[in-house]
This record gives sequence, structure tokens and C-alpha cells, in this order.
Amino acid sequence: MSKQIAKFNINGRPYEVLIEPQTILVDLLRDQLDLMGTRLNCGVGECGACTVLIDGKLNLACSRLAITATGKDILTIEGLAKGTTLHPIQKAFAEYGAIQCGFCTPGMILSAKALLDSNPNPTKKEVQEALAGNLCRCTGYLKIVDAVLAAADAMGKGGLA
Amino acid sequence: MSALKKEVIDLSGIENEKKQSIVGKRIPRSDAFEKSTGLARYTIDVKLPGMLVGKVLRSPHAHANILNIDKSKAEKIPGVEAVITAEDVPNRLFNGTFTIYKVSPERAKHEVEDRYILSKKARFVGDGIAAVAAIDEETAENALELIDVQYEKLPAVYDCIEAMNTDAPRIHDFAKNNIAKHISFPFAAGDVEQGFQQADYNIESTFKTSKQKHCQLELDSCVAKFDPQGRLTIWSPCCQIHLFRRRIAWLFGLKEGMVRVISNYVGGSFGGRSNFNAEPICIALAQKSGKPVKLEYTSEEDFIVHMSRQPFVQTGKIGVKKDGTITALQTKLVTNGGAYFETSGATTAVNMVLFMGLYRCPNMAGEGDVVYTNTPVSGGFRGYGNPQGTFVLEQIIDMAAEKIGMDPMAFRLKNHRRTGDPSWWPSIPLGSCALEECIRIGAERIGWEEKRSRKDTGTKKKGVGMAIMSHPSNVFPLFIEHSNASVNLNEDGSAFVSVGVSEAGQGSLVVLAQIAAEELGIHVEDVHMVTGDTDITPFDMGTYGSRTTYVLGNAVLSAARKAKIQLLAHAGKKLKVSADELDIKDRQIFVKGQPKKTIPVAEIARDTIYDHQGKGSNIIGTSSFNASNSAPTFQAAFVDLEVDTDTGVVNILKMVMAQDIGKTINPLGAEGQLEGSAAQGIGYALCEDFVVDSNSGRTLSDSLHTYRIPSSLDIPELEIILVEEKDPTGPFGAKGIGEAGSVAIAPAIANAIYNAIGVRVKELPMTPEKIFKAIKMASSQEGR
Repeated sequence: MSKQIAKFNINGRPYEVLIEPQTILVDLLRDQLDLMGTRLNCGVGECGACTVLIDGKLNLACSRLAITATGKDILTIEGLAKGTTLHPIQKAFAEYGAIQCGFCTPGMILSAKALLDSNPNPTKKEVQEALAGNLCRCTGYLKIVDAVLAAADAMGKGGLA
Repeated sequence: MSALKKEVIDLSGIENEKKQSIVGKRIPRSDAFEKSTGLARYTIDVKLPGMLVGKVLRSPHAHANILNIDKSKAEKIPGVEAVITAEDVPNRLFNGTFTIYKVSPERAKHEVEDRYILSKKARFVGDGIAAVAAIDEETAENALELIDVQYEKLPAVYDCIEAMNTDAPRIHDFAKNNIAKHISFPFAAGDVEQGFQQADYNIESTFKTSKQKHCQLELDSCVAKFDPQGRLTIWSPCCQIHLFRRRIAWLFGLKEGMVRVISNYVGGSFGGRSNFNAEPICIALAQKSGKPVKLEYTSEEDFIVHMSRQPFVQTGKIGVKKDGTITALQTKLVTNGGAYFETSGATTAVNMVLFMGLYRCPNMAGEGDVVYTNTPVSGGFRGYGNPQGTFVLEQIIDMAAEKIGMDPMAFRLKNHRRTGDPSWWPSIPLGSCALEECIRIGAERIGWEEKRSRKDTGTKKKGVGMAIMSHPSNVFPLFIEHSNASVNLNEDGSAFVSVGVSEAGQGSLVVLAQIAAEELGIHVEDVHMVTGDTDITPFDMGTYGSRTTYVLGNAVLSAARKAKIQLLAHAGKKLKVSADELDIKDRQIFVKGQPKKTIPVAEIARDTIYDHQGKGSNIIGTSSFNASNSAPTFQAAFVDLEVDTDTGVVNILKMVMAQDIGKTINPLGAEGQLEGSAAQGIGYALCEDFVVDSNSGRTLSDSLHTYRIPSSLDIPELEIILVEEKDPTGPFGAKGIGEAGSVAIAPAIANAIYNAIGVRVKELPMTPEKIFKAIKMASSQEGR
């Protein structure tokens, strides 16, 4: 099928890209735009490594055609920090030892952001449920859950953000 | 926020030791910024100009002769730059692990070399037969479909016990009854038969362990590029870059210096990056096409082709007297190596030596057979044979304790080895062992006494169980344990430390930076780690065997000490005092006893480099460290759980891991290693099930959907206690705990399930179905 020009707003920046109708969002981000922080593992929505936010809502970039996201605001992990100032969730992940190999980290952080944006004071159980679609093989999740709760705490106090 | 239940208990009681200001602190890892912002780069992210895409044609048959391959149609497709089969690659049998370089030449003869880069005979569904490099993925996939392979299907065998039958199909010509190697426990002691006769009771039981998959989140990939002079650069997630380089050079007939290996951040290893994966085929494609090639496994390929933990069928036998004395221990095991040998010999040996290395026992013997089957290749996975052996050992220990009416904790306290006893390598005694404290503290935290006497009514039954384990901090003296480090002072008083470790998530970089900073008296953020490239780092045996903190930690400590001696010598001249009157703290060199007489490290560092007298030098400390002790670590794990007897579902209520760690360099990292291992242990025990179809040989568990690993909802409350009894040989007393956490969890869960329902499920994973069936079978037998 023929290529077409598509417009996206990614991390607050407008993009005009030549895509095919079958281009998957994760391939657009990684292969065409060099936004490699969106990771790819299973390709079918099982692991959560490719999590991005589209208009603030949690999405799996491996399971979405790029063309369906035209004109929308896409947030990838590269857009979360402000310059060298980390978002409170990123900061908490570092401080609480929630990162090991780091491959699941971007998706995990964006899932946490989607949660905290809609529920600023989650319980531990709510955090565990919100992250259940993001698999991690290194950490055993405990420090990740602690980090998200700590970030919620910090954001609630108005600090860091 | 939740309270962090973490604790470090120091048993050393040494008060007068120099207070450490960096070692022992919860310092966040230095790569956290890159990893949390998506800027970290992995092999799978590597892009080179003009890079081709590689794809592999894999056998659809579990066992087949290859009669003919016609690749002419594929070669004609525009955009296809190389099509290769066994005829196009070095005709050299190999073993894709590097054990051969680690052990003595005598032992290396036991490593079986049995595979080619592309196979001449298909031995499992997924065996690589041909490969293509093309300008893009679509073209490469189209080309694969046009390669015409004529197979002659052969009968196949998947079960390792059936494979030993005389009428089973033979998978490798040399291996009679498909036995690749028979391995005896090398430290057999006494006379086991006599030991069993001396016992009041002998307990014998057979267990089956499973083919656990690593499931690293970063799929396997490789990029290979030859430059016009024939020098090869490889980007690979391999975690033993120097041994990898030597093996690749040998395989392709190159000199080591003509090969450069770059390992970026690695998206998880757990032992799965200790051997060749995508690399040999990728390099062969780059060689044939003359262009850079990237070969990236699909998720399905990664599941099937990347090796997974050896399943064992293992029998353990123990002789015990009424007073709790162990008179004999014996094990017999069959290792399902899959289609090729790889690490199966070494893991079989490790299984046996660690099985026999935990308890005091005068009579010991063990025998193992590594057996070929037409299943995906088995390999090393965190613990390297130890989780399998300990799963058996720690259950027969519980069974023996029950037989003599002794509390299983008391039985272990009576019999476990301690400081001064022989280690797993019997001629080398244990230099430290805090296992007794681990058991006592862990028991207290789980509430052992109270929970063992719990009585349940109803359908949900509670149980508490424990297991202990040991694992060395490196593999000396079986392996050469050699690491190098250089500590280089910059003119601002900061340092860069060059080491050959790979960062796969384990957190070695911050640990090594802490060690260097502590010794040099500078801050941890002053130390920059250089790693992951054979062109810029000194030789290292690599990242495996829980060795980095211990072996490389000692190398870094010694290199930093040498740099410090130079610093102090220069400072002494300047301050007109002898160097041994000086020390460094907080970036300042000071005269001992006169803390106000100081000179900044930066000033000395700068003046030694920019020396206008023409005597300039760069302060560099280098060190080669060869371990002469394996400093085994120990752990006691406790599990409190509930079994729903209506469904067989296990709900873990709480786990406690009390870890003998020597000295904790970084509690944040140490806890992370144990928590991550515990999650893998829970998966191993309860749900991770690698299934090969017994009709077709196809792997049915070929995705994260069909092979379930624990999610955030599957992790119970976990209390970790780091028990510190400094090891005399470790850096600052530290031992390695990279693998320790994955060993004792499954047997502790198994023992707790037994405590709950009075039935043992002797096969991993202990799924609800198996537990439910075991309960039903037990109750129907009772009813008879």
C-alpha cells in the first residue's frame, strides 16, 4: 500500500513522518524516529516493555498501528524528564533500587505515571495491579512498587515535580 | 508509603576497624539516569549504516537428515545479499560455551563439541539450517521461504529416560544410548553402602525438575561487521567478552586481536549470556555478504533457540541415625541436555558438588549422565545446577528429619557445615559461614515454632517450610578465576576504573565504584566505570558464577590501593612527611593525627601530570587478581503459605531470606539480587512450565503468554536479612550473592506445601493441577 505523510505530537514536539498503513507504532518510534527508549520484546502485548501514553492513556506501541495515533499526543519515556530534571517517578526508581537491567523500566515508569495521573494516592494493591501488565525478570517488583508509592508521596507533597 | 523491611546484621563485632563511609551504603546505581530516561542503549538498539537484516531458517522437524538444500531461488531475490548453509560456514564442531578455557586442559577434554554454526542434521524443532542476509526484514523473510530443504524425517525422543533405551533413536553418532557423558561425583568419600547399613533409616526419593526459561526482557541479537582490513567488530549481549572473543576467533580462524567485542547494556542475563546465541550465524552472514549484519531473534525464536535450565531426573538418598546423624548421602541424576551438550556437563558436576557440600557426612557418592534428546538445548541458568540439586537435597533432608521425629530446623542446625569444615572443594576449608545465625534469625522472623504447630481445619491448609543452601562466590579451583582492573586518576582528583565486566542489571558497576572510592578516599560520584569493550578494558573471565563482587572487587581494591600508594608518595614529598603518615578522606590527603594538615587529592593528581620539572606521571594502579578461595555464601529461606485443597492453588503469605553475605557493599543492590532471585524461584516452584509436545517435538511454551513468569501480583511479603560475618578473603569481607537467591526458594516452598497438606509433589513446577491430583490420590489411598 502507498506511503503517506502522518502528523504526530510526540513528547511535545510536532513530527511529520512518511509511514505505511501497516506501520506499527513501536517500529515508527524505534526505527524511524530513533526513540529507542520504547522497548520491544514480545510484540503482542504480553510484556509491557513498549508502553507509551497516547493522550494520557496507557497504550502498547507493539499492538497499535501508527496511523491510528495520527494527530494525537504521544508520550514516550524520552519525554518524561524536563532536561536533566527527572520526573519524581524516575527519581524514585533510582533511589529505591527499582532498576536493574533497565529494559522494562521505561514501560514500567509510564504505567506508573498513568496510574498516578488518575489515582494520586494509590494503595500498594492498586500499584501492584496497575503494573501487572509490565513484566520484569530482574527485580522481583518489590522495589518498583515501593518506588511508585514513594513517588506518589513526593508528588502529593508537591515536591520534586 | 510502605515501610521497607530491610536489615543488615553485623556479626563481626569489630569496633576499631576503620569506619567505611561508602562501602555498605545504599547508593543508587550510576546508570539509573540513562535507564530511567530511555537513553540506555542495548545491543538490540545498535544500528549501523548499510546494515543488513539476518534471518535464520529453522528445522520444523525434531529429528531429520538433511538430504539436499536448494538456495538458488532465494539468492535470486533482489536485495538478498547472502544465503548460507552448513557448506558456507567454518566446518568446525564446537561447543558454544567457554568452559573449555576456564578449566584445566585435562578437564577441558570432557567438554563435548557437537554442533556446527548451521546444522547438517536437524536435532530439534528450531535447529538452524540456513540463513539469509537481506536489505530489510521482509526481503529476508521472503528469501527464507524460497530455500528448499529436503528432509528425511527420523524418529525422535524427548524424554531423557526413554532416550537411554537401547532402541531409542540415536541423536549423535558418537553417543551410545544418547549418553553424551557420564560424570561421577569427584570427591566421593568413605563407603556409601556401608554408610546406609550404619543408618537407622534410609530415605530415597526421585524428583523431576523443569526446563526453566531465562526470559530476559532483551531478546537475543547481534551485530557483526568486518572492516576492510578484516578486523571483526561484534556487538553482543554476551557477558564474558574476552572468552567470547577467544572462542569466536578460534571458530572463524582469526587472531584474537582481530576481533573486538562490544557489550552495551545487557537487558538481563541470569547465565543466559554465557555462551553463543545469535552471534556465530550473524558473523557468518557478515563474512559472506561483506556488509554489516544484524541478527535479532524473534520472541518465539528466543524461547526455543536460546537455551534454558537443564531439567534433571534426580534421585537423592540419605542414611540417618535416630539421633540425627547423617551416615551417607548419594545422588544419581540424569540430565536432559537437549539436542546439544553446551553447559550440561558442568551443571551436572556443579549439581553434585554442591549437593554434597552443604552437610557433614562421612560417606558420599554421586553419578550423573548427560543425555541427548530432541528438545531445545539446555544450558546454565542462575545457580547452574544448584537449584535442581538443592530441590532434591532439601526435601530428602526434611523427609529424614520427619522419619526420626526431629524438627527439620534442628536437624539442619545439627548437620550443616560451618567455618573450618571442608568446602564444596573439600581440600579448601570454609573461611566463613554464618549459616547458623541465618537459620536462627530466619526462623524467628517467620515464626517457625508457632507456625510448625499450627492446626488447620477447613479446606485451606497453612504450612511453613524451610531450606538452606550454599553457593560459591566464584568457581576456584575448578575454574581459573582471573580478573584485572586499572584505576586511573584524572587531574581533577576523579578516577576512571577500567574493567571487563558486563552490566546486565546486577549492579556491579556501582559496587566496584564504591570499592574504588572507599579505598581512594574520594566520593563515589568521582569514579567513572569503563567497561564492556575488549579494545579498552583489561582481561576478565567475565560475568558468571556470582564472581564479580568477589574476584573483580578484589582486583579493583588492589588497583585502587596501588594508585593510593602513588598518591601518598607524591603528597608526602609535598607535605615533607613520610607517605605512611598519610591517609585520604573526603578527597583530602591528611597527616594522621593532624587532620587539619591536608592537601587535596586533585592538587596532587594535577601536579603529577602537569609536572614542569619534566618528571610527569599519570597515577594509575593496575592489578591482576587470581582467586585462591571460592568463599561460599549460605542462606536460609523460609516460606509461610496456604494451599487451597479444593483447587490446589498455593498462596504464599510470607517469605524470609537470611543471607550470609560476608560484608554488604551496597544493600540496595544486594536486596535487589535476592528479591529478583526469589521471584524467579517462585516462578520455578509454582508456574514456569516449558512444554515440548511429545508428538511433534514443538515447543508449546514459546511466548510470555504460554510460559508464565511472575508478575507484580505474584510476589508475597518478603523479608531479607543480610547477615554479615566478614570473609577473610573477600573485598572488605564481601562474598558474591548473584545466584544464591534462586536456589533455596523452590525446596522451601515444596517443604511448606508438604507441611500444609502432607503430600509431596515431586515434579516442578508444582502447579495447582499437580497439587490437586496429589491431594486426591493421597485421600483415595487413605480411604482404602
